[in-house]
Amino acid sequence: MTLSRRGFLNVAAIGAAGTFAADMTRFDMLRHSAWADEAKKQGKRVILLWLAGGASQLETFDPKPGRPTGGPYRAIPTSATGVHISELLPKMAARIQQTTAIVRSLNTKNADHGGGATIMETGRIKDPGIEYPDLGAVCAKELGRLDSAVPDYVSMYTSTEGRRKGGSGFLGSRYAPMFLSESMQPENIRRLESISDLDHQDRLALRELLAKKFTQNRNSDSLGSHTQAYQRVRGLMASEKLFDIEQEPAEMRAKYGPTQFGQQCLIARRLVEAGVPFVKVARAWWDSHGENFETHRELCADLDHSMSALLDDLKDRGLLEHTLVLTFGEFGRTPGINASLGRDHFAAAWSATLSGCGVRGGACFGKTDEDGHKVADGEVGAGDLFATILSALGIDPLKEYHVGARPVPLSDFGSKPIKDVLI
Amino acid sequence: MASDPTKLNKTKDIGIPSIAMCVARIPNSGRLIFGSSDFKLHEIDVFAEKPQSTAFGGEGHQSYVTGVVLPTPNVAVSSSYDGQLIWWDVEKREPTRKVKAHELWMRRLVISPDGKTIASVADDMQCKLWNAETGEMLRQFSDHKAMTPHDFPSMLHAVAFSADGKFIATGDKVGHVAIWEATSGSKVGTVEAPGLYTWDPKQRRHSIGGIRALAFSPDNKLLAVGGIGQIGNIDHLDAPARVEIFDWQKGERKHELNNDKFKALVEDLAFDPASQWLLSSGGAGDGFVTFVSPETGKVIHQDKLPMHVHQLALNEASDTLFAVGHHKIVVCEFKATDPPPAAPAEAAKS
Repeated sequence: MTLSRRGFLNVAAIGAAGTFAADMTRFDMLRHSAWADEAKKQGKRVILLWLAGGASQLETFDPKPGRPTGGPYRAIPTSATGVHISELLPKMAARIQQTTAIVRSLNTKNADHGGGATIMETGRIKDPGIEYPDLGAVCAKELGRLDSAVPDYVSMYTSTEGRRKGGSGFLGSRYAPMFLSESMQPENIRRLESISDLDHQDRLALRELLAKKFTQNRNSDSLGSHTQAYQRVRGLMASEKLFDIEQEPAEMRAKYGPTQFGQQCLIARRLVEAGVPFVKVARAWWDSHGENFETHRELCADLDHSMSALLDDLKDRGLLEHTLVLTFGEFGRTPGINASLGRDHFAAAWSATLSGCGVRGGACFGKTDEDGHKVADGEVGAGDLFATILSALGIDPLKEYHVGARPVPLSDFGSKPIKDVLI
Repeated sequence: MASDPTKLNKTKDIGIPSIAMCVARIPNSGRLIFGSSDFKLHEIDVFAEKPQSTAFGGEGHQSYVTGVVLPTPNVAVSSSYDGQLIWWDVEKREPTRKVKAHELWMRRLVISPDGKTIASVADDMQCKLWNAETGEMLRQFSDHKAMTPHDFPSMLHAVAFSADGKFIATGDKVGHVAIWEATSGSKVGTVEAPGLYTWDPKQRRHSIGGIRALAFSPDNKLLAVGGIGQIGNIDHLDAPARVEIFDWQKGERKHELNNDKFKALVEDLAFDPASQWLLSSGGAGDGFVTFVSPETGKVIHQDKLPMHVHQLALNEASDTLFAVGHHKIVVCEFKATDPPPAAPAEAAKS
């Protein structure tokens, strides 16, 4: 791994000062604090629609109609001139120009579920020597507020196949996701039935009184941290209603539709509206080794409706320009159609989308060959996609964290943002 | 009997560049018209020394060709995911008429035994009847919900005429079958085969399967329904090929046949005109053919085929099958062995 000159100087300076700490990232934050603060001030947020199992690019954003690999579905024009997507996504087709950029030239080189997911969660290949944080944790750190009363990172993955919690790696548990797997409501944050609301309030008042007396004439970071942690827990408890879509008017719930994914997209909107910087909604399971076309007929209908409703709702609320909505999974699917009319794992030429914040709607970057076997133009990797995501959010992808003496850039070494899809 | 399934013997195995989705046979010949994943109709004479397929020309379909029937030996009608019905001159291999038939993907096309009426089904969940000669739509009907109970789009894959042409059966993704009187479009019965639909609410949260094939018995009393059984891992076609046989007028299920040899999807069904067997065929990675007794439900004979079969045609004697599917066309004979020649003395007596 290359050590950048800037990274080296930082490490040298830190080493000379003899001020190593467990979480070295705070040193680099000083240098970038102006940028990061600006991003936070603007309230940038991310919703990742994780297409778990690997959606087919040919049945979504890179159709090849009429080719032997193309399958039976037509390509339809979108609102962006010259850009066609699968007819399975008619609602998204009407929204491309206004909201969404397509990247058609991902080559992420790993078509194994676990390995592919690691790459697409962290933007780089696994390194046995270091545990990288996933995109959610990075965004939680970069966009979250220390004084936030809501979670920084919420991850929903209710299906069991391929379920991955994601993780904050070397950033530590502070940036780990609030993970919802069994229910759309977080567990263990509800006030105990045995404690009345009045008792709960009284306890708060007593705690504050005692804390105030205790901290008088004491000046300690750990005391402040303790108070902050307590406030955060109380905030999380109070955030329970954010996960309750019954709080929404029936008309709004109807817009998102009855599917679980649609409902989770509505929760995601409620969360980002309340200030949660990163929400991941996993929609499993696209792993269509058999009956690819029937599977995508179902799942694309769900994606098309839910994603369109989400983008419309964010736009109507003035949130879309500050919220980046992403779609990708661990990989795409083979252009070749197997004997079960399925498509298998494929990472050499597939697609992702970025919508909203910082994104040039209607942009379509990269090109695959006529049958979709290879990237023909504009090949990018996961690191480039992550650099693009961070840039769209106003976060410097070259910014470095430090793990011990080791500098770790936010997006992988050598990666570059795809400028064509950015405003 | 003229046929003997136990004598099944593959006589032709022909490679083709595309996936053949449907087939019709020109009577008394080895000439097959098949519809394909290359959006085209093709003709091939499988009995030729070196069979070569020839694509039909002209402005054809815009997607996979999913059904083909022959109202006369020189007229073919095809259906496609593009929602169009196209009439073709077989000799010229040119289209003669196009009709926008359905709003969504057409899944199957069948023709009445007298060759006068065509029935089409599509994901708009409609069954439409067409005058095979004029292209006029005669009527349409549906008893199939657009959405599954789990709020996803349903699909209408299967349709069949009864042997006397009086009834039509339609079968959808969730296992609902409706039986209709062909002349009036009145619904005259329903049967349910939910065992052919797998909904995975937890692991993968989508569905697979559905009714893919239907066939009436020669006396019209039985209705066979084909697909795939309950699948544990719905990423794959990983469950026994499944056929259910109903006495549809009584609404009774006579047999529930889970094929213990082949994990596969049943794509096509055909009854022996003499009611000695019910033939099912389909596939997953490979293909299969299974003959069962409609009376007992017992397997008479089954064998592997070298490709996933999407449809098959039988000859006039029902002792030869022509199967089309994944990059292959296969011909299998299952002729009853001729009785041994009579001894000269016996022959003289007679």
